[in-house]
Amino acid sequence: MTPADDSTWRLPPIAVLLAAVLLVACAEIGGASMARFKLELARWARGAMLARPAVHGLVGVRDVDEPILDEALVKFDAGLRLFHMHAEGMGAVIVTTTLVATTLVRGAGARRLIVALITVGGAGYPLGYLLWSALIPRLGVESAKNTAEWLVWAPFGGAALVGLWMLTGAVAMRLVRR
Amino acid sequence: MTRPRLLASLLFISLCLAITPVAMAHHVGVYTPRDNEISANFKQIKFSLQAGKTDVARRLFDEGALRREMVTRAATLPPGLEAAVEAALRRGDRADSERGLVVFFAALSRDLALEADRQLGDAASPAPARVAAGRRFLEAIWRYYSLIDFAVTQADAKAAVAIRLAYDEADGAARTPDPERLRAPLRRIAQALDGVVATSPLAGRASRRTSRGPAVRGERHTRRQS
Repeated sequence: MTPADDSTWRLPPIAVLLAAVLLVACAEIGGASMARFKLELARWARGAMLARPAVHGLVGVRDVDEPILDEALVKFDAGLRLFHMHAEGMGAVIVTTTLVATTLVRGAGARRLIVALITVGGAGYPLGYLLWSALIPRLGVESAKNTAEWLVWAPFGGAALVGLWMLTGAVAMRLVRR
Repeated sequence: MTRPRLLASLLFISLCLAITPVAMAHHVGVYTPRDNEISANFKQIKFSLQAGKTDVARRLFDEGALRREMVTRAATLPPGLEAAVEAALRRGDRADSERGLVVFFAALSRDLALEADRQLGDAASPAPARVAAGRRFLEAIWRYYSLIDFAVTQADAKAAVAIRLAYDEADGAARTPDPERLRAPLRRIAQALDGVVATSPLAGRASRRTSRGPAVRGERHTRRQS
């Protein structure tokens, strides 16, 4: 017979669910804004880049500068798109994995740690794409990427990955001990 | 600290360390350079000519960015080049039309090489910025030259080889911190391309035609000596 605690899913803390739902809501607002303000955003980014020719390596020759601006604008747009997609996806990942952790991980400390890592890491990681996108016109594609990498992607993405692997290990141990 | 706790802590730290390189690998998309309106228009015209649709090619030339650019850059092009290409398209002469377009792109690439040389010699800007600019110029030169490389090779194999060798040398020099090393191969590229422009039979004809009649669209063209 299946024990009672295994047959019922337990809800993660409300704060975790709020973070996940908020992330999905931000993703949707981001996606809608991208479509609604596409031209304005592109104009702003182009203007900001033209105001910093040295940062972007612009040389004042159209045939050379246009591809540089085009690449930066494509990546600026890609950053917004990737934020939209990752925020949507990570919202769902947070809900499902914390649900599994809350239900199946027995040790209270380990459970709290896993839930915290996945929530904080998962909610913070997509913001890196937004930061990358926002910094491209001011810092250039590569510098913006490095900044986003060290400030957001590596710490938050790393936390989410550690949390997910800990959860995998905990569920696997549960299966072995059964 | 008890043994299981110590083990768990070690496991946690190992996991963090193992995940660090994975966490650094993000998907940020890949950028593939696109054609600009001039190279896109060139391809449209070329493919129309290859398909035998000279009327379509003429319309694409008449309304396209390539002709506008020819007019804008008339001062650095062989006199009457635009009129010569237009006349060739009107006659349905595919070979002459293509020759005219080759001259145009050779001149565009040559001017980029000359401008790159000028900017690389500008000691006012820092060396790394000049090298980076040189790399960008090389990319731009290749974007245009690659469109006509085959035609140049068929018409003047020696010039094509000289351009390719100089380009390879410049490409290597662009990976070093010294901007001066880029200048000599860039000058050779400009010289070889200038030869392509000057020796083109169409360029000669265009010059003769212009010398007999009024300049195209009332503009006076002067050939820039490089």
